[in-house]
Amino acid sequence: MGSAFNVFLEAAFIENLVLAYFLGMCSYLAVSKSVKTAIGLGAAVIFVLGITMPINWLLNKFLLEPGTNIFGGMLGQEMDLTFLRFILFIAIIASMVQLVEMIIEKYSPSLYISLGIFLPLITVNCAILGGSLFMVSRDYNLVESVAFGLGGGFGWFLAIVAIAAIREKMLYSDVPPALRGLGMAFILTGLMGIAFMSLMGIDPAALANGGK
Amino acid sequence: MSNSKVILFVLTMTTVVALLLSLMYSGLKDIHDRNEAIYNKKEIFQAVDPTANDMDADKIESIFDQSVKQYVLNYDGDVIEGERADKLKLDKEKKKDAKVRKYPLYVYQEGGKTLYIVTLRGSGLWDDIWGSFALKDDFRSLAGASFGHKGETPGLGAEIKDNASWKAQFKNNKKIFDDVKNQYLSVRKGGARDEIMEVDGIAGATITCDGVTDMIEDGLGPYFRHFEKLKNGKTGQLLNK
Amino acid sequence: MADVQETQLKNQEATFAFGKKERKLLSDPLNDNNPVTVQVLGICSALAVTTLVYPSLVMAVAVVFVCAFANLAISLMRNIIPGQVRLIVQLVVIATLVTVVELALKALSYDVYKQLSVFIGLIITNCIIMGRLEAFAMANKPWQSFLDGIGNGLGYGLILIAVAFFREIFGKGTLFAGSPAELKIIGNTSEYLLNTEATWWLGWYANNGLMVLPAAAMFLIGIFIWIQRSYNTKLVDIS
Repeated sequence: MGSAFNVFLEAAFIENLVLAYFLGMCSYLAVSKSVKTAIGLGAAVIFVLGITMPINWLLNKFLLEPGTNIFGGMLGQEMDLTFLRFILFIAIIASMVQLVEMIIEKYSPSLYISLGIFLPLITVNCAILGGSLFMVSRDYNLVESVAFGLGGGFGWFLAIVAIAAIREKMLYSDVPPALRGLGMAFILTGLMGIAFMSLMGIDPAALANGGK
Repeated sequence: MSNSKVILFVLTMTTVVALLLSLMYSGLKDIHDRNEAIYNKKEIFQAVDPTANDMDADKIESIFDQSVKQYVLNYDGDVIEGERADKLKLDKEKKKDAKVRKYPLYVYQEGGKTLYIVTLRGSGLWDDIWGSFALKDDFRSLAGASFGHKGETPGLGAEIKDNASWKAQFKNNKKIFDDVKNQYLSVRKGGARDEIMEVDGIAGATITCDGVTDMIEDGLGPYFRHFEKLKNGKTGQLLNK
Repeated sequence: MADVQETQLKNQEATFAFGKKERKLLSDPLNDNNPVTVQVLGICSALAVTTLVYPSLVMAVAVVFVCAFANLAISLMRNIIPGQVRLIVQLVVIATLVTVVELALKALSYDVYKQLSVFIGLIITNCIIMGRLEAFAMANKPWQSFLDGIGNGLGYGLILIAVAFFREIFGKGTLFAGSPAELKIIGNTSEYLLNTEATWWLGWYANNGLMVLPAAAMFLIGIFIWIQRSYNTKLVDIS
């Protein structure tokens, strides 16, 4: 359990998907003009990440990875299907997003309207696919991948809510016209990235052991 | 459009795509495997010869075929029969408990000189780092080292792999372990103060360098047990002097 | 803004002409309609590779390839794709092309493949490609779509390489590090990083550690946007 908690902390704060890897920037910049919609989208990302990670983990292990996939068992020899990973992952993500869209539409029509076209964009939110790919490349186990999904989603949520709040305040600031809006959003994101960097030297494993 | 047409379309497309990709994959698999093997061999052999990265594929393969013997050790330092070091997946091994982990050892023999290359794996700032250390036949003196990393920052942590003068420190009179002081080789931030047991750190890459120090301290046990057995002649590996 | 131009193209003949409009398809995304600085698309998947020029170059080529051929394929199929599964079909086409790129790169240059690792896969979620398929290829003839794909891929690659250029030269002191044509530009690249006595005759420039941090890429794009909009005032405050 301890390692899962570390993975959660690391994904949320130290290796923030937006601020350290630029993942999910499109919707991050486009939907960060008001805090309210930012919270909605952030929550949707946490949910989609939290749900796609374990599904993709299971599918990756039992359908694709050589040695553990069921086809290999049936044919009695190792079979490497990992080259189908991209297609499988993106299909799962697309269908999960569709599901979330239907749920939100049913239970919160106002949120559905304000998120507008950005909900389908979660499919092409790199944070979601990136999460799944990082999970494979870092060889997480099932519990860790859930933790990574939730932590990464939470980090993304934090980042978008923070930038939305700053951008709301920025409306009252005197920014050079050419820099207004998008340009300033980039620079703010950079500054936030530096602020998050100060968390980087923290070693969650050492913290758990009471400091090493 | 009717549902059956939609399903037909999706099925056709999936089949075409799957066929195309499987053909391409199986067609390129041999090249992929060879590339990967050569990449790993170059990385290991850089510990002996810093120019290994520029060698062509055939040369590095012939060196490994002719002059390098591979062994896999267990925690107690015994050779596990019938396994090859280059078949080990070190990232998977690192996740196991040290007691059940398998340890790769490469022995390079050329013109009467024998070098023992140990490959250690640790953690850098972002992800795994690893290093290969070539030891002379006193099992303590270094003849060279090479490093690799999964995702360190270029210009900072990634310099452990790229920086020639950092790697050049791991030879001449440097020792990986001092039996008298019971001390391992370590990386010192702000410049080495001990000619034999310390190397200079890389500016701005403190955590990666600490990772190198930890890696050396934590990973050498099984190798030292193996070398001890080698000296006493109690192992499957033959000691050629 | 792009819609007008797109509907115009819809009425064009299906030829392989290379007239003014076709040229505009290629040149527009480089400045006036740059996918990154104006449309704010596709920043996600690849900025993390911009610490060095060489991987960025490979990434740019990959994106041009995927963007152009995805546009072409979708445009060819635009009349037979069932509306309900449109997005999935587009994603599958993109994912297939990206897998092709990955397999090819792994065979051609294993070093670069290792360096780019998961970021190759992230081309799939590059919103530029998806956006062009939806906004252009679904409604236009194959040849125009193909050109539009190349144009947008190039516009994206341009920003990518520009960012990487500044980050590498000031962050690491080199250009094209990792490629056969590696150049050492400033600073005593291979010598000075060690903390021992700095080699003073080359050490006049100390690498700027900020430039290799992710934040530097954001600052650079912010500044690019600033410069572009100062000259091109019609773009100011459109988003």
